[in-house]
Amino acid sequence: MFLGLDVGGTFTDGAVVVNGEVVSVAKTPTTHDNLLVGILVVIDQLIKEMGSKEFSRIALSTTIVTNALVEGKVDQVGLLIIPGPGMDIQAALPVEPYVLSGYIDHRGQVMAEPSLAEVRAALRQFDERAVFAVSGKFSVRNPSLELAVVKWLQEQASPDHITMGSGVAGALNFLRRTNSAYYNAAVWRHFNRFATAVESALTKRDIRTPVYILKADGGTLPLGVARNYPVEAIFTGPASSVLGIMAMNPTKIPSLSLDIGGTTTDIALWQNGVPLFAEDGAKVAGFVTALRGFRLSSVGLGGDSFVRRTPEGVLAVGPMRMGPAMAVGGKYPTVTDAMVVAQLIDYGNYELAVKAMEQVATQGQTVVEVADLVLDEAINIICAAINQMLAQQANQPVYCVEDMIRGTEISVEQIIGVGGSAGGLVPLIAKRMGLTYQIPVQEKVANAIGAAVARPTVDITLRADTVAGYYTVAELGIKNQLPSRKFVLADACELAAKHLAELALNRGISLGATEVVQSEEFNVIRGFNTVGKIMTCRLQVKPGVLGNRKEGL
Amino acid sequence: MMDAQKLGLVFFPAFDWAISPSHPEREERLLYTRDQIVEEGLLDMPNIREYKPKLATYRDMERVHIGVPDLASLINNAHLVSAGGALAAADAVMRREVKRAFALVRPPGHHAMRVVHGTRGFCAINIEAIMVEYLRKVYGVRKVAIVDTDVHHGDGTQDVFYHDAETLFISFHQDGRTLYPGTGFTDEMGSPMALGTTMNIPLPPGTTDDGLHQVLDHLIMPVLADFKPDIIINSAGQDNHYSDPLANMAITAQGYARLADKLKADIAVLEGGYSIEDALPYVNVGIILGMAGLDYSKVVEPDIKKCPTQSGEVTRYIKNLITERQGMWAMREGLKRDAVAKAGDFWQRTRNIYYDERGINEQQTEKVRLCPKCGGYLTIGTEANGPGVGYKSAFIAIISREACSHCRQMAIDTVHRAKTQNDFQHYFVQNKYEDILEKI
Repeated sequence: MFLGLDVGGTFTDGAVVVNGEVVSVAKTPTTHDNLLVGILVVIDQLIKEMGSKEFSRIALSTTIVTNALVEGKVDQVGLLIIPGPGMDIQAALPVEPYVLSGYIDHRGQVMAEPSLAEVRAALRQFDERAVFAVSGKFSVRNPSLELAVVKWLQEQASPDHITMGSGVAGALNFLRRTNSAYYNAAVWRHFNRFATAVESALTKRDIRTPVYILKADGGTLPLGVARNYPVEAIFTGPASSVLGIMAMNPTKIPSLSLDIGGTTTDIALWQNGVPLFAEDGAKVAGFVTALRGFRLSSVGLGGDSFVRRTPEGVLAVGPMRMGPAMAVGGKYPTVTDAMVVAQLIDYGNYELAVKAMEQVATQGQTVVEVADLVLDEAINIICAAINQMLAQQANQPVYCVEDMIRGTEISVEQIIGVGGSAGGLVPLIAKRMGLTYQIPVQEKVANAIGAAVARPTVDITLRADTVAGYYTVAELGIKNQLPSRKFVLADACELAAKHLAELALNRGISLGATEVVQSEEFNVIRGFNTVGKIMTCRLQVKPGVLGNRKEGL
Repeated sequence: MMDAQKLGLVFFPAFDWAISPSHPEREERLLYTRDQIVEEGLLDMPNIREYKPKLATYRDMERVHIGVPDLASLINNAHLVSAGGALAAADAVMRREVKRAFALVRPPGHHAMRVVHGTRGFCAINIEAIMVEYLRKVYGVRKVAIVDTDVHHGDGTQDVFYHDAETLFISFHQDGRTLYPGTGFTDEMGSPMALGTTMNIPLPPGTTDDGLHQVLDHLIMPVLADFKPDIIINSAGQDNHYSDPLANMAITAQGYARLADKLKADIAVLEGGYSIEDALPYVNVGIILGMAGLDYSKVVEPDIKKCPTQSGEVTRYIKNLITERQGMWAMREGLKRDAVAKAGDFWQRTRNIYYDERGINEQQTEKVRLCPKCGGYLTIGTEANGPGVGYKSAFIAIISREACSHCRQMAIDTVHRAKTQNDFQHYFVQNKYEDILEKI
């Protein structure tokens, strides 16, 4: 019995899923002043309906972190960076950092040590700050400098919290890790207050169920772990929507999903039953971060998109919304009115929709003719966005000859349509693109269902350098000796699996199916001899949904 | 709207291609550069945009090359991608999506000559030359300047444009008396109709940033300003670096970054550079920042103390070399007139060309028709011998882009006449006027 909660901009939704079936749903207006109030209303309602509080898991998708940033409920962070030589990233950071000496090179070798005197000076400058972030270039190749600075900070100032760059992401990209670490520290206090409030409210109700927090990549984190990585809880709305689609429409066919709402259409590409991930991390408050998420493209076209004639007499659709459709009492013509007149949907008042189309018809044009033109234009806009996303996929940079020859195109075969306006538009889009489509039975709380069944995920990057004789796992802060025997890529992947299991255990999640996200192996040559290898293996617990079989958490 | 300084970066490290497992041109070459670029966050800069290469077509490649017996048997897919990477860089600039572009791709190309019998100096096809002819055919670019900043003389590029007065080829490199390929001396200046548009600047071993920037400020930049090219291409080899294992120069990442910043090439294409751990990550970051108009002052090698200083002797040598080259450039019109008058209707040279990869020896005779009305035509007789390839020969006529009808006919007749004499195995007409390579 899984309980999922999705705190949206308007409503807080809840759903209980048992063996893959939705057995109970609840909905209440989001209480923006205190999100927990709405959350508890939904939980109480669901307990009442179910007559039980024996949930195996409660998973939360919330806007708590986004709100903290928007409302400025953030701490002043003492940001210390160890950039060494290279590009000056200071202008691309949200705050001015204190720059420390020290450098780790691309092989993970310490080229210069940090200095305690500088850390002391930084503390004087960051007087009164209680949270810190420390980020060093190539710290994922060797966390020792970050660890040394953290140790000094603790000894000198005992701050409430320190986020380490190498702890927030295992992948290369110093700039993104630094920003992730900064935002993580900035929202740490606010999120922890929320987490404490959630825990005490549940305890008061005698609910002993473990609580999980949804992440932007569709995975979940135990609340206790999320306390250290609160920034992971940002942007979970689109993720829970995509998971909702995954839960309701298991399909292995290359697909694209269209979530057509009132104002926008969200497009995702699917392969082997899972949506594609974005190559880069998300942007937070305009700054690039290392936060992973699904690759979504959003276009300003939905059922409520405003339809009008431009001063030149051209029929224009969207992207602005001026209110609801005239068919349901709105003031301006919309795409929905066109769908009603074209008899694609039965919605609101037909006569009022006809009036809407009359407003944009030219002389001699029937309302059906103009409605068809409106829908044509709406479909043009959505198809252009789809084609742009497919082209972007085809233009995805690759670094091997074989991948260039094979190509990265996805030949999509079907469209999955969800959202309020999918029923009218998706058949037309599918026809235009020559694809099949399915519009699953609408679930009113799809996002909450997505949260309910989101599988816990975790990933690690193991990098082994047999010349230097050690390997690192940034997410675990590990730098260990390699065994003296011959060590090959398969060994690296095996070792990564061992550490992934260890990390999963630390985080209180059981290991489901894992997959290698990326692996590469290079010979290191000195003169004309191979002296060793550099191997990278990135392994993850497959994101996805918990099935109806008894699957562990 | 285009950012005033936006840089297109075509990055293609060819992680699955090597000449042989321990060859300098191996899978690992750009690994550390990739790590550095990604770790710095360069691809996240709003004024840097990454592009995927396209695949070059045989039509693109045969606008420059004649492969004997054919190009397809001498190259592989990796070459289609690296040449296509240079073309993608050209497209990005010419479509005005970016201000400049850098094709950070491999395999390299600047030792590949017009006629191809195999791989020489790690190069099978000349990716810059293919790009230049593409720029002309697709975008109508005319005057092109190529500045080759690789430590080795760009003998392939020089060969392709030796008779082309609309292409200025400037190469500075470690003196050919001390380094492969052993050419690139000051007296190689172009054939009579193009005299002066090949400029070699052989530098002594031990040249540092100081010497290089003297050459740049007092020779290369003024010559470029004088030539007024429509576009500037940089063959951006990185093996002048003090840590390069194959050469003996003393340029730093700062020296390269400042060069990129001053040169302001429209398109740069990677060439050599084999200090893959100690130089390339820093040099490439420096060049990218320099081309993107970003601050590169903090790009410094961790082992910068190992960089030698320039000797007084080298400084004096470079000063004299600059003076001599300036003089040649000033007198080039007169030199050209004299050379054309001396040559008469035809100019001819015979050379031996060595393909180090498999030990192929080629003997080549070029004969240029100096037409007063047009770009004329060129014939090449080539014979190659080598282990594994045996004997290969071909006779080729190359019709220039703007050849007059008389020259076009003469070129075709010459090939047919040669074929009846049957001295060669293969016969080609590379017809740039009609943009086709025909096997006769």
